[in-house]
Amino acid sequence: MTPYDKPQLQKPFKLRKSFATRKLEVAGIRSKFPNKIPTKFLVPAELTMTQFITIIRNRMALLPTQAFHLLINNSGLSSISLTMAQVYRDHQDEDGFLYMTYASQEMFGR
Amino acid sequence: MNSVSPSAVQYVGAAVQEELLESHRAGNPAPRLAMSPEASREAAVEPDEVDKLKAKLLSAWNNVKYGWSVKSRTFFNKTSPITVLGQSYLLNSEDEVERFHGAFVSKLWLTYRKDFPQLEGSSLTTDCGWGCMLRSGQMLLAQGLLVHLMPRDWAWPDAQPLDDVDFEVLRQWSPSRAGGMPIPSFVSPWGASQQAPKDVQRPESARDRQSEPLHRQLVSWFGDYPPAPFGLHQLVELGKSSGKRAGDWYGPSIVAHILRKAVCKTTEVNNLVVYVAQDCTVYKEDVVQLCEPSPSGENGPQTTNGPQISNVPDTSWKSVIILVPVRLGGETLNPAYIECVKRLLKLDCCIGIIGGKPKHSLYFVGFQDEQLLYLDPHYCQSMVDVTHADFTLESFHCCSPRKMAFSRMDPSCTVGFYAKNQKDLESLCSAVAQALLCSKENYPVFTLMEGQSKDYGLEGLRLSPTGPAHILKLSRNSSTRSSTDDFVFL
Repeated sequence: MTPYDKPQLQKPFKLRKSFATRKLEVAGIRSKFPNKIPTKFLVPAELTMTQFITIIRNRMALLPTQAFHLLINNSGLSSISLTMAQVYRDHQDEDGFLYMTYASQEMFGR
Repeated sequence: MNSVSPSAVQYVGAAVQEELLESHRAGNPAPRLAMSPEASREAAVEPDEVDKLKAKLLSAWNNVKYGWSVKSRTFFNKTSPITVLGQSYLLNSEDEVERFHGAFVSKLWLTYRKDFPQLEGSSLTTDCGWGCMLRSGQMLLAQGLLVHLMPRDWAWPDAQPLDDVDFEVLRQWSPSRAGGMPIPSFVSPWGASQQAPKDVQRPESARDRQSEPLHRQLVSWFGDYPPAPFGLHQLVELGKSSGKRAGDWYGPSIVAHILRKAVCKTTEVNNLVVYVAQDCTVYKEDVVQLCEPSPSGENGPQTTNGPQISNVPDTSWKSVIILVPVRLGGETLNPAYIECVKRLLKLDCCIGIIGGKPKHSLYFVGFQDEQLLYLDPHYCQSMVDVTHADFTLESFHCCSPRKMAFSRMDPSCTVGFYAKNQKDLESLCSAVAQALLCSKENYPVFTLMEGQSKDYGLEGLRLSPTGPAHILKLSRNSSTRSSTDDFVFL
């Protein structure tokens, strides 16, 4: 697995860094790269969600039959035709990052 | 079987359970969790009775364990309509209750089974305790096949009366039924004379009776033996390429793909294809391409060793089952999605949702107020030999509608739709698009797109998605930052 996929057990990003630190980081990134959206990736603003998902799928080497969901703020899916800029505008955190969680599907058995 | 494994206990419990079921069917009241004074008195007298009591307790435990409790009774109010796959019933009259009864009991109910032929590559002869998601998937596919093959609004003419239900409307009319007795009005308790008026009431009954051989054949496709095209053996086999084995737990997305493969492989069902959406997106043009007549036959069922199919040329528009694996929230269900789920279940083209409570799969077929109506596979029955010409159908239909709060729903599920022809597909698309609109301001359950998936890919982008990642090292505070906090450039 690539180094930027956080292991599940590691403390969440928000707990590891204070709000002030995160905000400062965003400010730095935004001034340096005005056309990039700060998530854990620096993503081109014009990229659509579909394309973003495709890129991550490719990097994780997922099969088409493997379920993969990107949840925004851990609560829901964005419309996949939106660009990253649109999603960022609507869902960015107070600290300036856009938080997305990746999830597959749960298994059922009893 | 290994006697120390928990499944051995389930096995014994299940056997007893079936005996109880039979006594129940024979008209005896359902056995209760042994709390009644007479039960304990008998137990004190006869040693045999102690064993019986033990068996009853074990059976009750087994039921509790699988979530299928004999005692529970489902209440249906008369003021809010209940929706069952696109049909709505306001249960304020006996006629409406009967319509609901017909619709519910006619759905196929596929449950855990035991004593079936060993699953290949394992010693398992039961799916009790692991196969519930496959069973839910079978029910979803069965519903698709019912609308594909049976006459419109077909109802099983031999439907058993509803059980463990409490209808507000019937309570009021007859004080003797207060507390919710099984409804006596439909069939049998008073003998065959009761059948006659029912047949008069339903002009379709003659037609439905004629469809019985087809109904039987459909059920037999889900038989628990290796040759059955949609039986557990076949589904487990098809799951192997996704890394699943007998005894594993399955998810609603994997099951969607297994169903697609099963329909593609069989020669029994003509003119039907299954489309499974990826990344919560249905690409309309991809669906159309799957349905369109293909001279090469590449989208059709495999014709190798299929004598039945070979005389049916692939020149007609194929019916389609569209399966959309979704995730309705992170850890728990996002309540914002509930309204949309309701809207989808109200659609005529919807054939249900497979999902469940966490770890516990259910097949959702409707809702009333804030509760989902479901069919529960967690009931261990003996295998029925469907190769017998007159095998019994009772264990493939459920007489006990159950409900649960939307809030208990696991966010992982797969939504199913069916379109018979091109015109149906058009109306399906507009109806589904309309239903999805309600959550636009928040997050859509899934998306319906014009065109094909390849139109929305990475072509034309100046990106190298699989190329080396550029990791940005920020110079500030670098001493305090762990290397995993670096950013990846896309």
